[in-house]
Amino acid sequence: MEMKHNIKKLGYFLLCIFVLLILYLSYLVLQQGEELATHPQNRRMAAREAGIIRGTIFDRKGVVLAETKWLGERGKRVYLTENHVSPFAHVVGYVSEKYGSAGLEASFSKELLGLTDADALENLLDKIFNRTPRGHDLVLTLDASLQRTAWQALNGRRGAVVALDPKTGAVLAMVSSPAFDSNAIDQAGVWSRLNRDEENAPLLNRSTQGAYPPGSAFKIVTGSGILARQTARPADTIQCPGYVVVDGNRIADNRAHGKVDFIKALALSCNTYFAREGLKLGWDGLVHTFNQFGLNQSPALGIPVRPGTLAVKERRNRSQLAESSFGQGDTLISPLHMALACSAIANNGVIMKPFLVKEVCKPDGKAVRVTESSIWLTATSPEVAALVKEGMIAAVNWGTASPAAIRGVDVAGKTGTAETKTDRQPNSLPHAWFVGFAPANDPKVVVAVVVEKSGSGSRVAAPIAREVMAAALFRR
Amino acid sequence: MTANLRKEERSLLYYISAYLAVGVITLYLGEPELNRVYQLSLGGGIKLPFWWFVIILSIGTMLGFWLISVYWRLAGFRCDPFLMPITAGLTALGLIFLFRLRPQYAERQFAWLLIGLLALVLITTLMRELDWLADYKYIYVAAGALLLVLPIFFGQEQYGARSWLNLGILQIQPSEFVKILLVLFLASFLAENRRVLATGSDQILGISIPGIREYGPLVVMWGISLLILVFQKDLGTALIYFCTFLAMVYAATARMLYVLIGLVLFFLGGTAAYHIFDHVRSRVDIWLNPWPFLEGKGYQIIQSLFALGSGGIFGSGLGQGMPNLIPAVHTDFIFSAIVEELGLLGGCAILVLYMCFIFRGLMIALAARNDFAALTATGLTALMGLQTFIIIAGVIKLLPMTGVTLPFISYGGSSLVANFVLLGMLLNISHEVNGGNET
Repeated sequence: MEMKHNIKKLGYFLLCIFVLLILYLSYLVLQQGEELATHPQNRRMAAREAGIIRGTIFDRKGVVLAETKWLGERGKRVYLTENHVSPFAHVVGYVSEKYGSAGLEASFSKELLGLTDADALENLLDKIFNRTPRGHDLVLTLDASLQRTAWQALNGRRGAVVALDPKTGAVLAMVSSPAFDSNAIDQAGVWSRLNRDEENAPLLNRSTQGAYPPGSAFKIVTGSGILARQTARPADTIQCPGYVVVDGNRIADNRAHGKVDFIKALALSCNTYFAREGLKLGWDGLVHTFNQFGLNQSPALGIPVRPGTLAVKERRNRSQLAESSFGQGDTLISPLHMALACSAIANNGVIMKPFLVKEVCKPDGKAVRVTESSIWLTATSPEVAALVKEGMIAAVNWGTASPAAIRGVDVAGKTGTAETKTDRQPNSLPHAWFVGFAPANDPKVVVAVVVEKSGSGSRVAAPIAREVMAAALFRR
Repeated sequence: MTANLRKEERSLLYYISAYLAVGVITLYLGEPELNRVYQLSLGGGIKLPFWWFVIILSIGTMLGFWLISVYWRLAGFRCDPFLMPITAGLTALGLIFLFRLRPQYAERQFAWLLIGLLALVLITTLMRELDWLADYKYIYVAAGALLLVLPIFFGQEQYGARSWLNLGILQIQPSEFVKILLVLFLASFLAENRRVLATGSDQILGISIPGIREYGPLVVMWGISLLILVFQKDLGTALIYFCTFLAMVYAATARMLYVLIGLVLFFLGGTAAYHIFDHVRSRVDIWLNPWPFLEGKGYQIIQSLFALGSGGIFGSGLGQGMPNLIPAVHTDFIFSAIVEELGLLGGCAILVLYMCFIFRGLMIALAARNDFAALTATGLTALMGLQTFIIIAGVIKLLPMTGVTLPFISYGGSSLVANFVLLGMLLNISHEVNGGNET
């Protein structure tokens, strides 16, 4: 009977739709499960958290940055603060019953609460023996005293400081100013005040999410591109009349530098040199170099990172290219990205993968997970890195970056003074930038500093960087 | 032969009993402090400790299934030995989750289960010979239409659908029973006319088309039921009717053309409904992206997704999750609660059980002795499978959510009894297949 045939086909169809259900359910649970389970609106996490002592967060030397103090039946999260402001507020973050969580408190929630899959047995035993479960501790790469130095050096001005170990990728300091009091998030009125303050935006982590034109600090990237693509040899010179004309637009330089080669152009921060050489490099070359230095990527740090951006495709003309070559135009980069780019110069062209969490430990101090340093990107060749480094040393020894010099130590550095003048704000001061590292021949620390609308890089940012580098080298 | 079949059935029932016992023990170990005094709401004020109540209901359930199997052996009933244990497994699972989610509903569900089991016994005793049912097809149309119309005038609205009849202590959802009438009507009509429908009597544009006499009643029946359901706002049931209709027409005629026409009509109807009816539009909008409606009408499906995602592969363990955060978790969304606590594996196991049910049901259809029996078995099985698919696809957001019950598991009296009636009819057909009353 042909009907049997039809019934069989119908059976296959029903089988298929059930298999579809199984596949979609598996996709939902396996692919999206994590996100759904830890969604801030999912009350399961909060309910479980109420009965768990959250782990402690330490700096690299064991200073307590965040801990849960047990007050009667309830735990209270207490953060390290200084005069009611926490220099760690943006990195460590906060947990709030009302406003959810942020920073490492949010991204390492599972570890801090001991709810990873590996903890299942321990949690079961806790349940059987009626013990209060305790989450894992985090040991960060941050150095509390260096963080405090950077925080005090910024002195309340809007800006950010990032310090890295170029050989490992460990983040030694990450400060964003202004910050907030992580202990006061749940207090009446605080949250709405923090969100309303658009001018200072205290909740914004400027060090990773700030979008700043990098100004001349970007020349270390353009310079690497020029040398790597061999559109100019280091000894080639140009004549700098103090301006350059591109497609009818006159782009002024800070002064007439005369005869300029690669090293002198970096040391004296000659815009004319980089504009001309940038035009030879072309958009392709600039974008390629930008990507090689990882400026367009967000490294997985556990906190939100804004990838850097160049001008959008429609706006990529020649005068935009000339301006982008010395970090102006539409170029926008975060301090973290500039620190990473600079660490490529410090570390023979190789950028190590940045990380904030050194170890995840059990309450007894035994490490469950240790972050191994690994190579993130190879940005450029050792030869190119050495030449750019030479230019940066020259900048500190006899060029624009001289306020960053430290007695007895070779320092390499590059300032940036990023114009922020617009038609509406003709008197706006420039962003002050500094990127650099020390000691130049065996780099221990890379620093990137930005201070918003405050003046020149050499006058404002370089002294801050000097202080942070000195603290990192001598206060070990 | 019947002795062997029933022996196999009983040995499967023992596994199900063990399964139920493990469930109850797990629940008890999780929350022994729940053992407060529980007052029966249907039992005239009788009070007993909560866990006694759970154990009595569990033993009662398994005893009920076991006694039916024994009775069938004595009565010489030769039905398929797998369908009832599958059903018992699903029912046991539903009961465990009702104990865990809404104990007061477990009691009502148990009462409905007894009625369902009684219906199963009556049907498998009195209606073993099914063929006479084929003669009354227009009575099914009349009865079905009446049952569907009643709630519009005398009905109660629940969960946004106006499909309940209130009979004092009982609330009945007639559309659950009309499903079976629909299958019976379609089976007898298609068995009679399927050759004409398959080959066609007239020709239009070179495609053979049957005359209006053949397909007219089909279209009218289908149109009336859909219209009424749209007015009752019961989208899920309308969808089940429509899909079952297509499945049976395809099985009878093998003409993809009908299915295609049906799908086009459905698409047009769906688009029109989207623009005309607010409740349809909001269902679709929620399905496309529920997140903007997190605090409002998308709350339920998002809570369901949270529950599904929080379970992981192995689940939180029975009694350890928080499925009560989902509104109406004991009816439409019970599958999400199961996946949260029993995990992806538990959820897949249930899907496999339903697949086994469908497999056995279609095997019966394939072995059936005549067209009417084959089409009835196909229709009933497809009905069960499609309803399961539609509700599970809804709670996992594969399709828009339409409120229907998960057969045998969800709380819902009419649905449970109707599904036992459905099971009884399938079993009667398989009794015929296995030799019937003679020899």
